[in-house]
Amino acid sequence: MRLRAAYARFLEYFLPLVLIAAVAVAFYAVRDVLDNTVVALLFLIPVGISTARWGLGPGITAALSAFLAFNYLFIRPYYTFTVHRPSDLVVLMVFLIVAVVISQLVGRAQAGVRTATAREREATRLYELSTALAGLHDNREIAGILADQLVATFLCEHLEITLTAVGEAAAQRPEARPSPQRPPELVVPMQAVRGLMGEIRLWRQAPPVSATEKRLVKTFASQGALALERAALAKAEARARILEESDRFKSSLLSSVSHDLRTPLATIKAAASSLRSGDVSWESAARSELLTAIDDETDHLNMLVGNLLDMSRIESGALHPERKWNVLSEIVQSVVARMRHLAEDHRLLIEIPEDLPLVPVDFVQMSQVFTNLISNSIKFAPPDTVVRVRAEAQDDSMIAVQVSNQGPPVPEAHLKGIFDKFYRMTAADRVTGTGLGLSICKGIVEAHGGTIWAENLPDGFAFNFTLPLHMDGEPPPALPKEAEGL
Amino acid sequence: MSAAKHILVIDDEPQILRALKTILVEKGFKVSAASRGEEGLTLAATNEPDLIILDLGLPDMDGLEVCSRLREWTRRPIIVLSVRDSEGEKVAALDKGADDYLTKPFGIQELLARVRVALRHTALAPKDQVTTVTAGPLVIDLQWHTVSRDGEPVKLTATEFNLLAYLVANRGRVLTHHSILTNVWGPEDADHTEYLRVYIRQLRKKLETDPDRPRHVLTEPGIGYRFLTEAENGVHRT
Repeated sequence: MRLRAAYARFLEYFLPLVLIAAVAVAFYAVRDVLDNTVVALLFLIPVGISTARWGLGPGITAALSAFLAFNYLFIRPYYTFTVHRPSDLVVLMVFLIVAVVISQLVGRAQAGVRTATAREREATRLYELSTALAGLHDNREIAGILADQLVATFLCEHLEITLTAVGEAAAQRPEARPSPQRPPELVVPMQAVRGLMGEIRLWRQAPPVSATEKRLVKTFASQGALALERAALAKAEARARILEESDRFKSSLLSSVSHDLRTPLATIKAAASSLRSGDVSWESAARSELLTAIDDETDHLNMLVGNLLDMSRIESGALHPERKWNVLSEIVQSVVARMRHLAEDHRLLIEIPEDLPLVPVDFVQMSQVFTNLISNSIKFAPPDTVVRVRAEAQDDSMIAVQVSNQGPPVPEAHLKGIFDKFYRMTAADRVTGTGLGLSICKGIVEAHGGTIWAENLPDGFAFNFTLPLHMDGEPPPALPKEAEGL
Repeated sequence: MSAAKHILVIDDEPQILRALKTILVEKGFKVSAASRGEEGLTLAATNEPDLIILDLGLPDMDGLEVCSRLREWTRRPIIVLSVRDSEGEKVAALDKGADDYLTKPFGIQELLARVRVALRHTALAPKDQVTTVTAGPLVIDLQWHTVSRDGEPVKLTATEFNLLAYLVANRGRVLTHHSILTNVWGPEDADHTEYLRVYIRQLRKKLETDPDRPRHVLTEPGIGYRFLTEAENGVHRT
């Protein structure tokens, strides 16, 4: 690397000399025929070319060597640097001045063009960087983009970006290679209004980092700092919004809980204290009724607490379904088996085809969905009516599930709202529940990638939901058939 | 029951301990109680109870740890108590050798049913070399690999029989998906719960009187399966 650069530098100075030598050789033979001034003009050509091609330094070198060669070979007496004729002296002096001025002018123009190109490239790079960084909200992503752009712009051996928020190297290029043992050659802090966001560390032994490059890295750093700050602000805003929402959630929760938890507690307290007082005789029907009330209300209380926990998990985004391939009818049957005593007054019909494919769902969460939908159906539908659970494959990628009942229709205006938290169509006292059951269903179904909605049927009311049949892009597995060998 | 069976309850909540003690003593059991893991282990070693009820949330040590320390030297049944939504913990306890689990809050009928099942299956456990198990209309011959329902032979595939045999050999116990898959299919298939789901459905179709309301091959949601010889009242979770 270093050798090649030195060689290129050497050529830049050597080639002008070759050009001058070539001109000298070409006109050496005819020096007696040509006038000195013409030769001087001819010597200006390589000087101009050298400057234009290799810059100011080589240009000056060409000018000086042309001056010497001209004097030595073309001005009498030949082969000396002495000058006899005053006119020759004038030619020589004018030549030197013109040569130097030409090389300087051309060189400066060249340098100007080069700087302009470099500036333009910088501007393009910065534009690219700011476009790439716009809209990013992840610190690591920002660091990655910044590192890519830096590596594309600067020659560097190793590059590392550390972020104050991350605490370690957030990005390094080349990736997955430890940074060199020695301290970095260039360290530029990423300073924002809110403080130090991080650092850019650059390792490059040669060529040394120039002032221009340093300036450009600093500009990159400030762009990076801006992007990081923007991301931090966006995050803070999102957090504030969540806090505000959870605050609202908590206050509605409190008002709901104080009512809903107290009702079963009041029943339990009343029943237990009256049993203890000895006013209720051992054989009376009242006694068994009170005991049943205590038992039922504790179950109810337990369900409320469970719903609250589920809801808070959905709210905090901690609901991660553990999706596995399941037989949907098994889930529904296990729910129905557990709910049998609650559904005594209704007829539960399960219509799930034998050949329904396996569905990728979390068994426990899906049980929760069916429990809530069925218990809601039981709550609103009159006794001795049918509650029906139906499922069918919609196409290769979705199944449709319906839990329907023969209860009263729900006004169209409420159909969407019933899946909202704490939503009640009826006066709070008429039907018990926190108003959380359906919104839990919505949370779970959506976490599984499905959608849930309610509709009025000609003879009742139905909850519908869909579930995707694919998991990680895989269709339901088919199992090998096995012969009955026994 | 000849002599009163001895039950050790390990739970750190005094109210639960008090209630369980009262009820179990009332039902004719001898009860000792511990509120800490270490204390429980010591009592288990000195008193040699017939059954241990262990709460998984203990203040001094992990309930799972207590479970595996007990399993180092005793085969007596362990029923673990745990709260809702902790399927992972229950599965871990069952894989560490617990026999059954109960989710708080539970009805006392449910607890007693489980205690009965657990005590019965230890009563048979080590010495019994039963090869024929009867469950309602089913007769399963583990030695000759035959199954009959109401006297009629039932045709099972090899895998179906292996699955049934594993469930039946551990009747009464809750078996986790992982343990069934590992033992019936092999460790490399331990994650393929879909095999289990499908074969269980086939088994129920062939064995259960009403496959939609199974009485013998029972689902433990989120945990696994359990085989019961007769559908014990109250074992079905409410």
